[in-house]
Amino acid sequence: MAALGTVRRFFGSYSRLKNVQPSKQTPRCSVRLPRFSDPAVQDILTRITGLDLQKVFRPIKQELKPPTYKLMTSEQLEQAVHLASEEAKKRLNTPPVLPERKPINDVLVVDQILDGMDTAKLVFTDITYSIPHRERFIVVREPDGTLRKATWEERDRMIQVYFPKEGRLISPHLIFKEENLKVRGDRIISSVNVHAATYEDLDKHGKYDLLRSTRHFAGLAWYLVSARRVDGLIVDMLKKELLQDAVSLVSLFHMVHPHSESAQEAASQQAAGTELLKVGTNQTVRFLLLPPPPPTHTHTHTHTHTH
Amino acid sequence: MVHLSSLLLKTYRGGFVVIRLALAGHKQANRPFYRIVAAYNKRARDGKYIEQLGTYDPLPNIYNEKLISFNFDRIKYWIGCGAHPTKPVAKLLGLSGFFPLHPMTITEAERRRAKMEKTEAAKPEESPEEGQKEVEV
Repeated sequence: MAALGTVRRFFGSYSRLKNVQPSKQTPRCSVRLPRFSDPAVQDILTRITGLDLQKVFRPIKQELKPPTYKLMTSEQLEQAVHLASEEAKKRLNTPPVLPERKPINDVLVVDQILDGMDTAKLVFTDITYSIPHRERFIVVREPDGTLRKATWEERDRMIQVYFPKEGRLISPHLIFKEENLKVRGDRIISSVNVHAATYEDLDKHGKYDLLRSTRHFAGLAWYLVSARRVDGLIVDMLKKELLQDAVSLVSLFHMVHPHSESAQEAASQQAAGTELLKVGTNQTVRFLLLPPPPPTHTHTHTHTHTH
Repeated sequence: MVHLSSLLLKTYRGGFVVIRLALAGHKQANRPFYRIVAAYNKRARDGKYIEQLGTYDPLPNIYNEKLISFNFDRIKYWIGCGAHPTKPVAKLLGLSGFFPLHPMTITEAERRRAKMEKTEAAKPEESPEEGQKEVEV
């Protein structure tokens, strides 16, 4: 939860930065590329995420309390279900997806005179209290004399040393090592790289269901759309017969990549609904849109189409 | 009655404020750790200081880094008030980029380089001699 708080604060400061500078787009497209926070995008993503009450209110480890039973009329039951769905929507608020931070490679000075003076790096941190962590000066003097800005990992470590935050460790937790990153429940994941690794893993194994009705589904969908690898997800949706969701996913893809072939085709044909699906998907997926083949062949078909 | 003011506010005749390294953690032997501190010149090295402005850890950590911190805002204030940094503090500030490089840093680097070159020149002379000795033996 602490990570969520910091992510929210970073998002807040990032949005302030965005307002100050005009957004830098590629000069060729005059239309602004949609960002994660656009209301249209958010709308689609919430629709895709779905609202499985059973899963959202799945019992998390809490103190054991004896269950309470209430006697209600059917009206009261409806109201209670309505309240529960509101609560579920609040819980499904996705943590904002930040653009991946670019690695810092800024060299300030090169002093060849100092080559070989010291065998260790010197890390200088500015501990002025009133600067936000993003703007703090953290520089490293290497043994070969170059003075450079610290990388993001070094920055995080130094900030944790001098301004410790509860629940954070100086070196990343063992969970976050690549080998150990398999699909685990919905624990809080804090950095974009970890997100990426988990989403890749999910994609490979086709386990979209694990995240379907959770807060992380929107992030997963956004990541796949940005990486242009939506095929697996579309296949999954079609199998589950969530046609509406598939349609919205394809329209989201077109919104984010307006220059791709399928988007241009769709625009020219002005397709909507299932037409959009046929346009937006490629050959292998279109197979699934055809009426199901006779039962003897279904087994082999599913094998060929899920990779 | 004891005049407490003279004990607490030791104003010195001709004393001035310095920014220097004070050894912290005096209970632990063989583990130095310095605080960068603004203190009166006449005070003991590890005694009462006016304000702490940073830290310096001379032993490298597991990532082979020596951690140094500076509160640049307050350092600027004290230098503005006329505090003198000592030689090691000035060197550290030079290495960090806040000050220009200290001349002694450059001199030490040059001396070290001269020494290295001398030892390297000495080695190639030694190894052909050793080779001859082995051949003879």
